[in-house]
Amino acid sequence: MSNIFSRTLDRFRGSGSAATTLPPMDGALRPNTRIDEAEALASLEAPDNILSTPDGILLSSRERLLRLTPEGGTDVIWSASSDITCLASDDSGALAVGLDEGRVLIRGGRHDGWEGTQLNGMPIVAPSAAVFTDPDTLLLCLASQDNRMGDWKLDLMTKRASGSVWKLDLAAGAATCLCRDLAFPYGIVAAEENSVIVSESWRHQVLRIGADGRTKVMLAELPGYPGRLVRDAEGEGLWLTLFAPRTQLIEFVLREDEYRQRMIATIEPEYWIAPSLHAPTSYLEPLQGGSLKQLGELKPWAPSRSLGIVLRLDPAGHAKESLHSRANGVRHGVTSCLPSRDGLLMTSKGGDVVVRAKL
Amino acid sequence: MSVNETYQRWRYRYVPDHLLGEILAKNWVDNAIPVLFLVLAIAVFSTIIPGFFTIGSLSTIARVLGEYMFICIGMTLVLKAGGIDLSVGSNFALCNFAGLYLVNALGMPLIVVIPAVLLLGGLVGMLNGLLIGYMRLRAFLTTLVTLILLRAIVELLSLNYGVQASYSDTAVPAWDYLGLASVMGVPVSLVFATIVAVMIHILMTRMRFGWHLSAVGGSRRSAYNVGLPVKRIVAQTYVMSGVLTAAGALFYASRLGSIGGSVGVGLEIVILTAAVLGGNSLGGGRGSVAKAIIGTVIVVLVTNALVRLGLRTGTSELVLGLILLAAVAIDVKWVKNRLKILNRAYVSPTYFALPPCPETVEGSSSVYEVNDRLSSAEAIGLGELDGPEDIILDEDDNLYCGSRHGDVIRFFAPDYKRHEVYVHIGGQPLGMAFNRDQELVVCVGGMGLYKVTKDRKPVKLSDETNRSLFSVIDDSRMRLADDLDIAPDGRIFFSEATIRYEIHDWILDALESRGNGRIICYDPHDGSSRTVLSNLQFPNGITMVGDDESFLFAETWGCRISRYWYAGPRKGQTEVVIPDLPGYPDNINRASDGSFWCAVIGMRSPTFDLAQRMPQFRRRMVYRVAADEWMYPNMNAGCLFKFSLEGEILDVLWDRDGVKHPSITSMREHKGRLYLGGLFNDRIGVYDLPGADPEWTGIKHYWGDKQDKGDKTDE
Repeated sequence: MSNIFSRTLDRFRGSGSAATTLPPMDGALRPNTRIDEAEALASLEAPDNILSTPDGILLSSRERLLRLTPEGGTDVIWSASSDITCLASDDSGALAVGLDEGRVLIRGGRHDGWEGTQLNGMPIVAPSAAVFTDPDTLLLCLASQDNRMGDWKLDLMTKRASGSVWKLDLAAGAATCLCRDLAFPYGIVAAEENSVIVSESWRHQVLRIGADGRTKVMLAELPGYPGRLVRDAEGEGLWLTLFAPRTQLIEFVLREDEYRQRMIATIEPEYWIAPSLHAPTSYLEPLQGGSLKQLGELKPWAPSRSLGIVLRLDPAGHAKESLHSRANGVRHGVTSCLPSRDGLLMTSKGGDVVVRAKL
Repeated sequence: MSVNETYQRWRYRYVPDHLLGEILAKNWVDNAIPVLFLVLAIAVFSTIIPGFFTIGSLSTIARVLGEYMFICIGMTLVLKAGGIDLSVGSNFALCNFAGLYLVNALGMPLIVVIPAVLLLGGLVGMLNGLLIGYMRLRAFLTTLVTLILLRAIVELLSLNYGVQASYSDTAVPAWDYLGLASVMGVPVSLVFATIVAVMIHILMTRMRFGWHLSAVGGSRRSAYNVGLPVKRIVAQTYVMSGVLTAAGALFYASRLGSIGGSVGVGLEIVILTAAVLGGNSLGGGRGSVAKAIIGTVIVVLVTNALVRLGLRTGTSELVLGLILLAAVAIDVKWVKNRLKILNRAYVSPTYFALPPCPETVEGSSSVYEVNDRLSSAEAIGLGELDGPEDIILDEDDNLYCGSRHGDVIRFFAPDYKRHEVYVHIGGQPLGMAFNRDQELVVCVGGMGLYKVTKDRKPVKLSDETNRSLFSVIDDSRMRLADDLDIAPDGRIFFSEATIRYEIHDWILDALESRGNGRIICYDPHDGSSRTVLSNLQFPNGITMVGDDESFLFAETWGCRISRYWYAGPRKGQTEVVIPDLPGYPDNINRASDGSFWCAVIGMRSPTFDLAQRMPQFRRRMVYRVAADEWMYPNMNAGCLFKFSLEGEILDVLWDRDGVKHPSITSMREHKGRLYLGGLFNDRIGVYDLPGADPEWTGIKHYWGDKQDKGDKTDE
């Protein structure tokens, strides 16, 4: 009762749950231009999941699976039947691939040719991230049961929370659901004591899910939507991508049901007031006051629906450092990164480029 | 259209939401609560006390009212300077005694008594003033001490001289007249109090002393820093309070002739209640005679009613004390929150549905189809300019533009590399035009319509128009004169984009989408200005059609271009030429082929169009989201187009990504080239127009022909 009452009061006053305040990007999150200044390795359309395998560094670009050559080019290894949404390698030749059509398959290795379109009777809709703990065990994030990965904006703007995290025993053919009702889990790594660490995009947090299924918030109130997680080179800390920033206007629209519904019903998703992977490309997109070009330039601190942000987390989950592409940059929508000897490789899905930043 | 949206449309058409904010922005709204309280008090007392408003009752009330008004006005002066005077009660008693003693015991004539008593009151005030003003003692403690001291003196005096002061051997008619007579039914005390009230009102609102008083009370330190004699001003208020208290005491002494020990006891509370209840702030800086009067009326009515209700002794003081407490609480809260309330009430978006947006995307084969032709534009003054909203070229090809610093800048032909400040006006120059004498006429944001003479002197032509009949805010002053053009007969028609906001708040006008703007005509023959069209949605560009009887004007947030006839058979009519632009039109100017150029400051975006149909959504956004994060029309692309008088789109030029010329606000064709201006840009663009008349200039085309014609008629 008091809940309804306080919510109504919040709505009237714009406080509490109706407030549009955001955590500031300060401390370790202080903006810099490290992604903008990073060395460009390859230009290609929508590079997404990058990972290292015994065959070299692989990455996905739409439906193609590519290998990054040392000269900075890319070789096409394979073309899937629809967009590749996630990749995982077991470091012994097997590659798990998630597809936008709602299918997960394994190429090479012990379980070559394995594929699945449902788990325990539940159809796979949006495989978003995967990781092998051993060649027989695959951890898999399904971002949503309502929308495919390509419709991620719709999933956010309709406030869905139908994601789940699974543990697949490939040898036994068994699937265990570790956690349900997550709001777009989009990154996963295995942690000690059989627990997993998962990023939950729409709730702006990183969770630790224990072997018993109990969840604990590891990092909350992020200023952006967390994407994929990878272990850092030492294997203790983590790299986390924030594929889009939160803005006050989007937070406000998320609290304005009527406007949001009419927007979804009548306007193309690329013109929505919603986070975006790429810097503005059309005058039909919404514009915010601070993004108005003044004296011929867009200010780096302008509010933006897209940014490039990568965070380094220490083992306890605290942010240690960050790399940014700011509002006046274009290397936005970094969805995946890979620490290597020469620096951090990042795929800017919105900027159509793979870059390497010195660490 | 859904039922809800139909309802919204009608609701916003007939409920004038914006008036609430405009009323709250008025200074007189401070008096609203006391007046309401007064009305309430009258209503309550006249129902529960039979005969409360009979003539006899009113005349008693009026006599007391007159006496109290003097004291309360004095208290208001003190409060306004940030002080407080608690000694009024004792001072009142002292002056009462002095008056009676002088008349009764010494038999002095009134011509001596009145000045003497006033002087006595003034001396008491001066004591307070010296201690508080010059010696910087705390007002509260000091006047509390004077209160006790004077009371002791009065006690002593009445013990020793009370008998002599009480009775007079001979009647003094003039003395009795003071207390008992009426002028046309109004007691003399009230008549005099009213005269004094008017004088003090003029002193406080129209004279230097009053302004100094506000300054001292509002911010003592600032007042000191700007060089005001703070000490003297503070001291003066106590002297005035003392004199006015003495005046009240004189009338009281004459009316009652009492030297009882209870005279003036607790009076300071009554007067303080009256002053604060009326709306005079205890913190200083805010107060007026009107407030003092309202407060006094309330207090006198309430005390009188309490007596009439037959309440026990002490109850009256209790009630007054409670009222004082409530008034102080309201005062504190009101002062603190008034601006907050105003900030939450002023912006009031309204329902506005634009017609469907024409296609612009590549491959749509629309007349507006996007291209990137302006990417070949060259830049003038790159990095040296700040906000050249409009540009114009003279007969010698020199180029003039405005700047945010309040200058008109001139670039020299032929290469436009050198520039100078042509004239400093002080406000940002927006629209520009040359008149028949080739003098530059400029609309200046925040200032009005100006002319720059040939010897570079800015001359104000107009900054005021007629105030409309039912406007709450004063719409006679100009806030945002925007663009102009000059009719062949010399009359200047110019647009004022909005009457509700200053230039830097233009986005609030966009978010309101109400017709807040107007078009004004300045007539150089008699120097008068009159509004010719009002309730326009950010009227912006204006250009004469060339038929000597009509002009075109653009309404930016309305996304339309209309034609208005100011003369001829269709005089007074308006006709929409283009009803549904894909962007927000800005300035309009003539093209060499007889058609017109129109700049588009921003493009319509689907999300903004949708928000225009949801006023409550925009309202909440304004109040909940930081200003930098508000939704804006998309102004990061550059676009302008050419159209015919019939509304046909003839040509469209785009800077698709807004690399060089985002948000174009103006363009001028001159000798085959098109010059581009932008309110937020740091450059002027030059675009070579293929196939345009290389000899055509705006001035020769418009004024050259006219002058020839004029010469012929003279022959």
